[in-house]
Amino acid sequence: MSHVEEESGSFVRSYLLTGGRTRSDAGDIAIEAMVAVSPDSSAPRDIDLARIYDLCAEPNSIAEISAKCSLPLGVARVLVADLWGAGTLEILETTRSDDIAIVRRLLDGIQKR
Amino acid sequence: MASKSDNTAARPVSAKVVVSGGFGVGKTTFVSAVSEIAPLRTEAKMTSAATGVDDATFVQQKTSTTVAMDFGKITVDEGLVLYVFGTPGQDRFGFMWNDITAGALGALILVDTRRLDECFNAIDFFESRDVPFIIGLNQFDGAPEHDPELIREALDLSDAVPIMRTDARTPDTALDTLVALLSHILESLSAAAAASPTPAPDSREPDREAPVVSDAQRSAAMSALAAERG
Ligand SMILES: Nc1nc2c(ncn2[C@@H]2O[C@H](COP(=O)(O)OP(=O)(O)OP(=O)(O)O)[C@@H](O)[C@H]2O)c(=O)[nH]1
Ligand SMILES: [Mg+2]
Repeated sequence: MSHVEEESGSFVRSYLLTGGRTRSDAGDIAIEAMVAVSPDSSAPRDIDLARIYDLCAEPNSIAEISAKCSLPLGVARVLVADLWGAGTLEILETTRSDDIAIVRRLLDGIQKR
Repeated sequence: MASKSDNTAARPVSAKVVVSGGFGVGKTTFVSAVSEIAPLRTEAKMTSAATGVDDATFVQQKTSTTVAMDFGKITVDEGLVLYVFGTPGQDRFGFMWNDITAGALGALILVDTRRLDECFNAIDFFESRDVPFIIGLNQFDGAPEHDPELIREALDLSDAVPIMRTDARTPDTALDTLVALLSHILESLSAAAAASPTPAPDSREPDREAPVVSDAQRSAAMSALAAERG
């Protein structure tokens, strides 16, 4: 992929560095999945990655990371997946679409507004 | 993997619902009416890497279509967040629809009664995927008020699908519509649970292993990023 090889700089390097992960695909991370910094982790040196890291001091969804860091959705996902693989970020649970208890809680909570 | 924090309050679970419908029916307006934050907009770029190279053309052109979606957020309680995603008007059931609808609890399909046919595709989309949905009739100025039951006939919808009037510009009305959607989702799930006591496993169970980032994904992401930065 000549396009990638042309790229240079710390961002691309750190981006390509991590490896050795197994199972699912970065494209499978739900856009509503919230991302939070792992306890005892420290900010990545790369400036783009550090922005994501700082943002996730408070849990933010993949969609929010994409919007707030002005990164296309696919890019945000891959960066988060890499940081997850490195143990820097955690991806929090999303609900199952058939979770009745969660729907009740949503209904109660929103009805009160 | 780093150890998990026990602080569940700071680590909420998230869910999502979808606001859909045809072009200009008030999806974005609805999202901002119910959201506690100013609606955010995120974009995905379809570049040649994502769409596949068209070998038939000799012109070296990188097809790059930007598709944007708006979304809002409601913090329901300390440990539960609901995201409300609007489907992009300019992307007709394309790839972003899969991201938006995968794992969604349900959908609100907004309808402008002057342009009923605009919502047919959205209805088909959610029907075919067994995503519970309701119809919201957005009352546009100058539009005749139709009897919801006539609309049901025109849209060929079963009695099980709620049809209600809404106004995407009014937060109270929009929230009522969201409550109606959640009630309908609850009913649908309860009915399904009664019919089959052992629910099929959800393929979107959170995967606790870090995902693989393939070379193709990286290179697609890199091109997108390079394009983004000029
Ligand atoms: N009268 C009336 N106008 C509305 C209502 N909801 C939205 N509008 C207006 O309709 C126009 C389109 O609304 P949007 O929210 O941008 O529609 P959209 O579905 O997001 O449009 P696209 O994303 O372009 O498909 C705006 O001018 C809104 O102010 C409503 O309930 N009643
Ligand atoms: Mg819109």
